[in-house]
Amino acid sequence: MKTRLIGLATLLFFVLPAVALAADESSTDEDFNPADEWELHEWIPIHIGPLDLSINKAVAYLLLGALVACVIGIVLMRVKVGRDPTRRQAVGETIYEVAQVQIAEQGLPTRAIARWFPYCTTLLLFIWTVNMLGFIPLPLSDEKWHGIPTFALFAATSTLSVTLALAVMTWVFTHIEGIRENGVRRYFKSWIPDVPKGLYPLIIPLEILGQFMRLISLSVRLYANMLAGHMLILTFIGLIFLVTPWIAPFSIALATVFYLFEVVIVVSIQAYIFAALSAIYIGSAIEPEH
Amino acid sequence: MLSAFFVLAETTGDVADAGKAIALAMGIGLGALGAGIGIGNIFGSMIQAVARQPELRGELQGIQWLGFALTEAVVFYGLIGGLLAYVLI
Repeated sequence: MKTRLIGLATLLFFVLPAVALAADESSTDEDFNPADEWELHEWIPIHIGPLDLSINKAVAYLLLGALVACVIGIVLMRVKVGRDPTRRQAVGETIYEVAQVQIAEQGLPTRAIARWFPYCTTLLLFIWTVNMLGFIPLPLSDEKWHGIPTFALFAATSTLSVTLALAVMTWVFTHIEGIRENGVRRYFKSWIPDVPKGLYPLIIPLEILGQFMRLISLSVRLYANMLAGHMLILTFIGLIFLVTPWIAPFSIALATVFYLFEVVIVVSIQAYIFAALSAIYIGSAIEPEH
Repeated sequence: MLSAFFVLAETTGDVADAGKAIALAMGIGLGALGAGIGIGNIFGSMIQAVARQPELRGELQGIQWLGFALTEAVVFYGLIGGLLAYVLI
């Protein structure tokens, strides 16, 4: 494990500047700005009335993420179960166990696991894949070098619309499931905690606001984590062009450290957190505490 | 002391940009202050708990990472607030 990490770090030390150099190629007449990476240009314009369904960089990453998540799921889970497990089966079972024990059984009541376990596991696998694709240099960028797209780091989850869509899905499912299990009256009554009646005008708006804050916190947590990670790496690499080329060894080393931190810890933690919180929210709507 | 204040007040340049930069730095800086304390607390408590009852490590680890991510997110709310101030105003 340790030697592998060191090898990866050395590789990155040489690869990361190549990414940044490619990014700088087309913008010779303007300053290097890390925020330019988040300008989404339309690749294939699709406009249906007022709706803008154009394919851009984030959409391409999402489609690729969906494809890769499907492949990962099929490769790891559709294994011929043998007496002594292969490596593939072991990895698949580890993922399954995390999803089952750490996410579903912790958040969901027992009778709801059958229905909501697939959803939470899909979230876990899909968000992990999209996050991870964001840290692999892929030739999917707006800049061209002799007609070939340059390699770039970009995660679909570092745009707010993607994470907000995922959060809205969880949020809607939460309320639908709460109403279906408890009935409208009992479900909305369960939002109000046990307080004296005089405090109701103060508590009820706060509780309603709290339900919407869940939506914001769930989406902003993932979005800002990925955004900050990419921004840090791009900024440290960009220092080479903004300050002096002699800063390169220092800034590339720091960028490598942050890259490893993001890949080893943040990517998996954020996927796990999103799935676990979705399970907890849905579980708490099915069985309200009061 | 007072003259220094007047020298500062007469500074020309893009004051609005300076204000935005300060807002961004305050957002992420104060957010990081709180989250630093919180994350330290979480891992400190985890170490204590595992030292007392090593057999509970597996169960505690899930809760630990949940707490870590929830606390860490506070930095990013500050960052987003700062970015909003930087971009919108």
